[in-house]
Amino acid sequence: MFRTDEIIKASKLPPEGVAMSRHIDYIYFVPILFVTIVGTFHMHTALLCGDWDFWLDWKDRQWWPIVTPVATITFCAALQYYNWVNYRQPFGATLCILALGFGKWVAVYTSWWWWSNYPPNFVMPATLIPSALVLDIVLLLTRNWTLTAVIGAWMYAALFYPSNWPIFAYSHTPLVVDGALLSWADYMGFMYVRTGTPEYIRMIEVGSLRTFGGHSTMISAFFAAFASSLMYILWWQFGKFFCTSYFYLTDDRQRTTKVHDVFAYATLAHGDKAKLSGGKA
Amino acid sequence: MNAKHVLKLSILGLCGMATLAFAPGLISSASAHGERSQEPFLRMRTVNWYDTQWVGKSTAINDIAYLKGSFHLSEDWPRAVVKPERTFLNVGSPSSVFVRLSSKMNGTPMFNSGPLEIGRDYTYEVKLKARLPGHHHIHPMLAVEKAGPVAGPGGWMDITGRYEDFVNPVKTLTGETFDSETMGSMTGIMWHVFWISIGIFWVAWFAIRPMYLVRARVLAAYGDEILLDPIDRKVGIAVLLFTLVVVLVGYLAAEGRHPVSVPLQAGETKIKPLPIKPNPFSVEVTHAEYDVPGRALRLVLHATNNGTEPVTIGEFTTAGIRFLNKTGQQRNLDPEYPAELVAQEGLTSDHDGPINPGETVDIHVESKDVLWEVQRLVDILHDPDQRFAGLLMTFTDSGDRLINSISAPVIPVFTKLGM
Repeated sequence: MFRTDEIIKASKLPPEGVAMSRHIDYIYFVPILFVTIVGTFHMHTALLCGDWDFWLDWKDRQWWPIVTPVATITFCAALQYYNWVNYRQPFGATLCILALGFGKWVAVYTSWWWWSNYPPNFVMPATLIPSALVLDIVLLLTRNWTLTAVIGAWMYAALFYPSNWPIFAYSHTPLVVDGALLSWADYMGFMYVRTGTPEYIRMIEVGSLRTFGGHSTMISAFFAAFASSLMYILWWQFGKFFCTSYFYLTDDRQRTTKVHDVFAYATLAHGDKAKLSGGKA
Repeated sequence: MNAKHVLKLSILGLCGMATLAFAPGLISSASAHGERSQEPFLRMRTVNWYDTQWVGKSTAINDIAYLKGSFHLSEDWPRAVVKPERTFLNVGSPSSVFVRLSSKMNGTPMFNSGPLEIGRDYTYEVKLKARLPGHHHIHPMLAVEKAGPVAGPGGWMDITGRYEDFVNPVKTLTGETFDSETMGSMTGIMWHVFWISIGIFWVAWFAIRPMYLVRARVLAAYGDEILLDPIDRKVGIAVLLFTLVVVLVGYLAAEGRHPVSVPLQAGETKIKPLPIKPNPFSVEVTHAEYDVPGRALRLVLHATNNGTEPVTIGEFTTAGIRFLNKTGQQRNLDPEYPAELVAQEGLTSDHDGPINPGETVDIHVESKDVLWEVQRLVDILHDPDQRFAGLLMTFTDSGDRLINSISAPVIPVFTKLGM
């Protein structure tokens, strides 16, 4: 079904080398790559769109669909660069979002429920997996990061609100308390006391993105798509900056060359390695 | 590394282990919210809380309790604190041990934040429903945007029973009944599990084959033609279509299930202050000093009774701490008020009798108690603006209470007692 045999043959690795590469895959992939993304990406998201993702009463139709995709497409783009350019693996975004989701659910049950006693429905995180899948698949199908920035990033942001509506639609159900109209999400935020988070902290429904016949969400989604596209390009370049490997080699005539083929390093003779200058491998 | 070095490190290690072992015994759980760490100028000169009541000091799970009281926004509001143009009446509690069913200020529901007026009085009532069993320290709290929360006095409230028995059904405008503890949880978890499964499938589809080293070597040597497996494209297209269809169907199903929806409500609550009550008693602070070793705030008041009844000084309250004399105890002491916040005989003056109608007097008043130290109000000496503010309560013979907001610069007195 797969081209695995052909790929292994082309790699010219001996069987024990292939077996070792799988061990490296497992060790690198789960304990190192996944856990690192959980830690870094979760913190990044908590800092940039934390309250919108933490609380039910922050998930408005204006800021939530802007802030969340724009803040989260970042790591997705950088990891897509790393996975695609070096290995032609189209799962960078999905892996990022899975790691983020893992971190979030750990937080929901440890920080929010076990430690702070907030019910899971009040701190239910949003899902970004459909968006990430589409982003990865667009890269796989187009094989082009510019097209992915235009098509994939736009779809990443545009899909965010509809893919979360099945989870959160109920929270916009109206109710009346003491003669005041509230959404269920508003009342949840009111009922579950947050001593350090007074109501005025909420950044919801403010701003001028509300001039399309009341369809604020549409405007927000388009703006988020545009901003996500730019953010994708920026973070793809961050990925390139941080994931490009090279080393400098000084030959017998004392000429220094920048070598990008990192595999060449492994084939250098011991004596040649001693000639490396700068140590920037 | 010689034996002596090893021994030293071992001893250090044992000390560390011993510290860790004893730490749980040394550390006690926090029983308040750090209100004492708030600077005195913030606590004394912003919100002057009074008549605070914790109704239902012991409740069972699902029972109703109330947090009630009044506050005056001090005319001496510090320059360093942002004015209360956007405020929210909050509850200081260790997590949501109660759910807050409603909150009213001067009878107006306060679900959103709103502006308040300096120099005016407000009453509040917060309706609470017991949720988590325990012995909880509960404060009223006025959060002021860009200035932070100003905690009122804290009182203990007990909740008995089991959390598992807690229910909180609420009827919506669509006629459904939602329970705040569970509504939407299972739907959300189900969708997350579903999408996580699809995501894991997508990553696993590539992870079951050599992922990194092998592919990197092939890519470096031959380019990506070999690596881009046609079946990956087919699966990619299938997953893409599947994702789009599920998102669309899920969206439409949710719209059908919840056809009536409103946006989150982001309004502003407009609350009128209480009418200004006529007060025939006028007071001016002509001198104020804080006696550091004596733990006493000494005031010289220039007071005039313009009314028709004699008035008697009974209480001085600031930062939720009450200094009373006998009159104050008899007329205005709620026996349920936390004893740790009351100096029962902490208020003395050189004019014990009433101030008669038409009389103008200069009175020396002293509010003296260790509470100045315990509540860290003595830190006023380290404030950037050394002033005090509070409420002076006087009582007429017919039972009326008159409240005067007083404030003045404070001069510290560092001399020792008896000198």
